[in-house]
Amino acid sequence: MRIGRYRLKLEKRVTLPGWQAALISSFAILVALLLFSVIFLLAHIDPLVAYKEIFSYAFTNRYGVLLTINRFIFLLLATFAFIIPAKAGLWNIGMSGQLYVGALAAFAVVYAFGGKESISAPLNPWIVLPLMVLAAFLGGALMGALAGYLKGKFDVNEIVLTMLLNFIAFWVVAHMIKEGGPFMNPQGRGESFALPKSLHAPLIFGVPFTIVLALGFAVILEFVFRKTTLGYQIRAFGQSPPAARYAGIRPFRIALLVFFLGGAMAGLAGYHYFGAVPGVYKIARTYGYFGDLSFYGIICGLISLNDPIAAIPVALLFGGLSIGGRFVQGKLHMGFGLDYALLGVLMITLVAFQFFYWNKITLVRVQEES
Amino acid sequence: MWQFVARSLDASTIFTLAGLGELVDQRSGILNVGLEGIMLFGATLGFIATKVTGNYLIGFAVALLIGALLGLMHGFFSITLGVDQVVSGMGIWILGFGLTTYIGNPYTGPLGLERIPTVGGVSPFFYLGVVLVLLSWFILFKTSFGLQLRSVGENPSVAEVSGINVKRTRYLAVTFGGMMSGFAGAVYALYYNPVWNYNFLMGWGFISLALVFFSMWNPLILFGGSLLFGLLWQLSLNPQLFLPGLMSRYLWRTVPFVITILVLVLISTKWFRTRWGAAKPEALGVPYVK
Repeated sequence: MRIGRYRLKLEKRVTLPGWQAALISSFAILVALLLFSVIFLLAHIDPLVAYKEIFSYAFTNRYGVLLTINRFIFLLLATFAFIIPAKAGLWNIGMSGQLYVGALAAFAVVYAFGGKESISAPLNPWIVLPLMVLAAFLGGALMGALAGYLKGKFDVNEIVLTMLLNFIAFWVVAHMIKEGGPFMNPQGRGESFALPKSLHAPLIFGVPFTIVLALGFAVILEFVFRKTTLGYQIRAFGQSPPAARYAGIRPFRIALLVFFLGGAMAGLAGYHYFGAVPGVYKIARTYGYFGDLSFYGIICGLISLNDPIAAIPVALLFGGLSIGGRFVQGKLHMGFGLDYALLGVLMITLVAFQFFYWNKITLVRVQEES
Repeated sequence: MWQFVARSLDASTIFTLAGLGELVDQRSGILNVGLEGIMLFGATLGFIATKVTGNYLIGFAVALLIGALLGLMHGFFSITLGVDQVVSGMGIWILGFGLTTYIGNPYTGPLGLERIPTVGGVSPFFYLGVVLVLLSWFILFKTSFGLQLRSVGENPSVAEVSGINVKRTRYLAVTFGGMMSGFAGAVYALYYNPVWNYNFLMGWGFISLALVFFSMWNPLILFGGSLLFGLLWQLSLNPQLFLPGLMSRYLWRTVPFVITILVLVLISTKWFRTRWGAAKPEALGVPYVK
């Protein structure tokens, strides 16, 4: 395309420096928010007012900030569930199923200790809480490893596979908490029994301790991917499976490992949301909403280009947007699902922006022919 | 009993329609993993249009249109921009799931119209599905256009050299695929289960996608698979008819998914791949750059 004496030239990128990636990602988010204004306009609401409400509730309101941080922890863990397999070139969209299994495993520990009977059951948190976290980690990990095993062993399409596993886990949760299931709340209501008060997760300035896990894993993962042989092997496999195989990296081991770890992260997210967020402390009747919310992890992963540290600000922003979205939905009398609509618009904008991650457009001065 | 069979055939129709679109799509070399999203869009907008106007035809027209548009969008991303097809498909799925949740929520509840009349107990869409299966089989394997479409999916550069417009063929295929998914969604929401609810499809699209992998990319086998899964799906909804008291009704709902996974594993084994694997379009999922 020619503009005056200049010509637009399209080039494939070979490398993408971090600051450019950050710039493109920020721009993508801005464009998505701009597009999303249409939804507000259609509801006869001034987008500027709406965004001001969203951001001020999510990041300055005392209650809003705590909700944002809780959601941030959840999203960050869900993002890791996506990132770890993605580094090896594999798609994990099974975070919702893995987090259900993680939550079920954590509650199974409480059940085994007899914590179902009463909200005031005197259980020793020093013993039971670590076991719950461990169970959630392992539960999610095993659910992930199942996908990893089938991917590594038979090369089953992991997208369809993890999605199908999500639906299986969804119905298993329903079985466990509804209509006479073992974890059913004694009062019915289609939700799980409530955790005994003694097992409410310790808070650090009002924030569950799971934030330490989430941030800790960000650092650990960054270290593993950048500095260890294992991280190198995973990345090498992601870049080119045939080349990696030639270098002696075993695909089966990689697939199993990344899905195991990814699933473990999702399992922790499940523990966090149902076991550690103040005011929840049970597997809610609407657990499906939280499972679906974990798909934000896909977007966070794509936007942060699978970098665990870069995922932190992205997850924080999206956590805030989804909490703020929920808030203005109530305040400005909009329909349910504003945060999901935002999820959709962000995702599709990001898809369009993939083009800019891999292509460079430059202006080239046209040589005058004389 | 006949009612159960009829209901199964109705369920299979949805798998057939969505799967057929995806099959043609994949024959041209384009993978669209977002068909559940397109189905959600077709279902939701078709439902709203019908509920507002009281007219089924308008609902189906809207569903076909939105399906075609989303197919075109997938084409634009994956053919013109060269974005990874999986990323684009995932985008369409999440867009569909996210936006329809918001758009459809005020219309939560039943459609409240007289049901679409059945022919011999089965919806007219079932017969339409049979016709479309035969037609697409004929076009794919017996006409020169079908040969062109398949060659684009096998080896686009060779197809291009032999004078076929690869991009145009692929655009046609994705648009058709999108339309069929939108239509399948509308059949669900306007006929099979005319009630709008949060994220109500619960995996129909993903099972249809898996069915395409099972089908060896052949419409006739796809149809057989759809019949089987329609039966299975209906069975998982009404286990008391055959095996009362074996599992809770929730666990029964996992059965179609478990069986889908088992079949996926079977067709992924080396034994199966060396025997039958050649049917897979060679260039599936690979962006075509001239």
